[in-house]
Amino acid sequence: MSRPAPRSIDDYLATLRAELAGDDPAVIQDALYDAEEHLRAEAAANPHVSEAELLERVAATYGRPEEIAAGYRDTETTVARALQPPASRRLASPHPLSRFFAVYVDPRAYSSLFFMVLSLVTGVAYFTFAVTGLSLSIGLAILIFGVPVFIAFIGIARVISLGEGRLLEAVSGERMPRRPIHPGRSGTLWEQIRAMLRDARTWTTLAYLLLMLPIGIIYFVTAVTGVSVGVSFLLVPLVGVAQRLDWWLPWGDERILFSPRWLDTPVGWIFCVVFGAAVLTTLLHVARGVVGLHARAAKVLLVT
Amino acid sequence: MAVDDSQARKFQKELNVGLVALVVLAILDRSSDDLYGYEIAKRLQRANAGEALFKEGTVYPVLRALSAGGFLTSRVKPSTTGPPRRYYRITREGRALFAQWSVIWTQTRDFVDRIVQGDER
Repeated sequence: MSRPAPRSIDDYLATLRAELAGDDPAVIQDALYDAEEHLRAEAAANPHVSEAELLERVAATYGRPEEIAAGYRDTETTVARALQPPASRRLASPHPLSRFFAVYVDPRAYSSLFFMVLSLVTGVAYFTFAVTGLSLSIGLAILIFGVPVFIAFIGIARVISLGEGRLLEAVSGERMPRRPIHPGRSGTLWEQIRAMLRDARTWTTLAYLLLMLPIGIIYFVTAVTGVSVGVSFLLVPLVGVAQRLDWWLPWGDERILFSPRWLDTPVGWIFCVVFGAAVLTTLLHVARGVVGLHARAAKVLLVT
Repeated sequence: MAVDDSQARKFQKELNVGLVALVVLAILDRSSDDLYGYEIAKRLQRANAGEALFKEGTVYPVLRALSAGGFLTSRVKPSTTGPPRRYYRITREGRALFAQWSVIWTQTRDFVDRIVQGDER
């Protein structure tokens, strides 16, 4: 498989992208970013060399696109293998019940739950930002300073999407880019704006920012409801015993009445503990699963 | 079987796997300033003076891996020539790693030298 040698920086980046086709989109974004940084620096250091000659030199020093692609692929697998926690041991646990409760020792379950609670805040912020930015850009489009507003808006949206990606990688383990999108072909302001408007990722990123509000509300409600219901049921026996023995009663003379009454019997207590534990454990499973899916969906909208 | 260039390249590539990380750490350990990928690649190339032992492109994934391991910290600064540059600085863990790796490297080099030059005693 031999392609013609690239004659320009854009050409080189396109070839590198083609060589990496099918790889993790996050790796592609990183590799393109690094290559562009290096090639533009090389071009700036040698202002009198033609771009074609520069690219010839680059193939010898920096590496041909296929060599670079192979390098990233190798490093990525080595690093991923070194950093991945040994998950197989837990999965191999024989008893289905112990596998069910193994979620309590999985840090990802807690970080996912945290992400679900946090997503109400980030959802509101993203939604506000996207709506404000869009309306300002459209509203000011007839004036000359609509242009910088729009460019700043898209720029900030890209930074936010990088940050959201880093957050999602931290909570779910899904590989996300570590570098922002490379700015792409250089050109006049208008060409850059047209490229931004034509780039499907601009619109999928905005869709993600808008969607995060309703999704964040659902996540937040699920997480808070699940935790409150689970913890409340776990506390029933404690409250029942405390009331019977006249222990510490912060609510003074008032008594908590359980309805139905049988909940406040030893059999009811056992039921409450089992039910509460089941709710909490299920919630952790749901959180881990949902945030894992969320990360994969986010990758499609923010990276691919 | 004839020995050609491709075998030499393959051997060099296998040798380079860990060595690029070692020389990158060495450059950053000695530098008082933060450096970005292009500068590091050029310093290595200059020290090499002539035939390139490895491609500059291999420096970037190594920087990324060392950074992910906490051996380097980085920050982004805008640049007039292209995308913003990422500047790297070595951390305390990075210096410890470099010290450890240099000892291993010296031992390995001496050992290999003794064997290759037929001086094993």
